[in-house]
Amino acid sequence: MYLVAHIDQAICSETACRLCTQYCPEANTILYDNAAKTAFVAVDRCKGCEICVGICDDLAKHHAIKMIMITDLKDTFELSKEGFRPESWTGKHP
Amino acid sequence: MSFKNMTITPGWEKYMTKEYVDLVERGPYGKQKKVSEMGSFKEVLEEHPMCAGCAMTLFIRLTMVGLPNPEHTILIGTAGCGRLALTQTSIPFIYGNYGDTNAVASGLKRGLEVRFKDQAKDVVVMAGDGGLADIGFSAVMHSWFRKERFTTIMLDNEVYGNTGGQESGMTERGALLKMAPKGKLFDKMDMIGLAQTSGVAYIARLTPTNPTRVASVIRKAVMIAREVGPTFIQAYTSCNIEYAIPTPKVLDDARDIESKRYGFMEIISDEAKAYLESIDTSKKAKKQE
Ligand SMILES: Cc1ncc(C[n+]2csc(CCOP(=O)(O)OP(=O)(O)O)c2C)c(N)n1
Ligand code: SF4
Ligand code: SF4
Ligand code: SF4
Repeated sequence: MYLVAHIDQAICSETACRLCTQYCPEANTILYDNAAKTAFVAVDRCKGCEICVGICDDLAKHHAIKMIMITDLKDTFELSKEGFRPESWTGKHP
Repeated sequence: MSFKNMTITPGWEKYMTKEYVDLVERGPYGKQKKVSEMGSFKEVLEEHPMCAGCAMTLFIRLTMVGLPNPEHTILIGTAGCGRLALTQTSIPFIYGNYGDTNAVASGLKRGLEVRFKDQAKDVVVMAGDGGLADIGFSAVMHSWFRKERFTTIMLDNEVYGNTGGQESGMTERGALLKMAPKGKLFDKMDMIGLAQTSGVAYIARLTPTNPTRVASVIRKAVMIAREVGPTFIQAYTSCNIEYAIPTPKVLDDARDIESKRYGFMEIISDEAKAYLESIDTSKKAKKQE
């Protein structure tokens, strides 16, 4: 089992600064839902490095990201299954 | 090697992978994407096996966003960690032999200029400090002396990361590594100074602490290489494995090294500066039309 990044969308959407998206080393892993104004994580791409946590805590000062055991997450978003289809995201992802 | 070549023949969409369709429909083509749009467009970089939290990975990702025309670009690399990601982009990649990246790039760029007279094609070499400052040193220097028009990007993790921790010419004096157990005995090579002496038109040194800056430096380097002459970017991209940096601290380390000895630096020739100004003015004029 391993940890992946998880974004609290209630906290994120207050500002949705998009900083974590720019600093995650992996491409298309922290995605941005324009309709719900929040970032969210494609868990199949997250390598668990925790860089985004430091960015949200220290640079953005929003504390919206936590590392969570992958088995404890429900309704995860996987890019390899759903593809990159922003029009279908609209607030549906945890 | 153009967006037209990438587009899917009508009716064949359902036979293509999702990733490919997404790239064609929602990729960074036609209009330069901004760093602030990341997360909202399909990136040219796919999944790859580089280590978790690797700063080099982040730098490569940002480089792909900075490329002015990914559909008209060819990447050249060699053995070393970076090619693990560079080979997973939708940009043609040439795996040069160790040592000959800049010779391959010289020939390729000249050939492209003959073959595509009306369309600029960008050639970008991206390789490690071992690949460029040690093993490929001679070809790098000669491509600069000959003023070859392409960009060289050094992914400087200050070690041979891919082969388990040998010192390179770019390792700092005194650094302790698995295969430099007594500490390196010599100074870090001054590749910036050598680039300056060789008349490189645009030189930049940076770290990945500022994503917008990375993309902007890449764009400038590629544009100047199109019209003016060779360009060189030296980027601190730490190896968290060989330098034992816990991954959540990778950016703290980059900020720390940046403030101590790897500050942002740009050296630009007068000709290159004038060229950049000319493209900015023509862009502004277009906007006003
Ligand atoms: C001619 C040749 N010599 C040696 C090697 C073995 N080799 C593969 S990767 C590598 C080190 C790469 O170091 P660097 O260029 O700094 O890149 P990094 O892996 O640190 O990103 C070496 C020596 C090779 N592939 N070819
Ligand atoms: S850094 Fe935090 S607040 Fe900003 S977009 Fe990411 S999760 Fe949301
Ligand atoms: S833990 Fe690392 S790989 Fe996962 S989303 Fe955060 S920055 Fe990206
Ligand atoms: S070995 Fe070092 S440079 Fe190579 S991918 Fe891993 S962390 Fe990055």
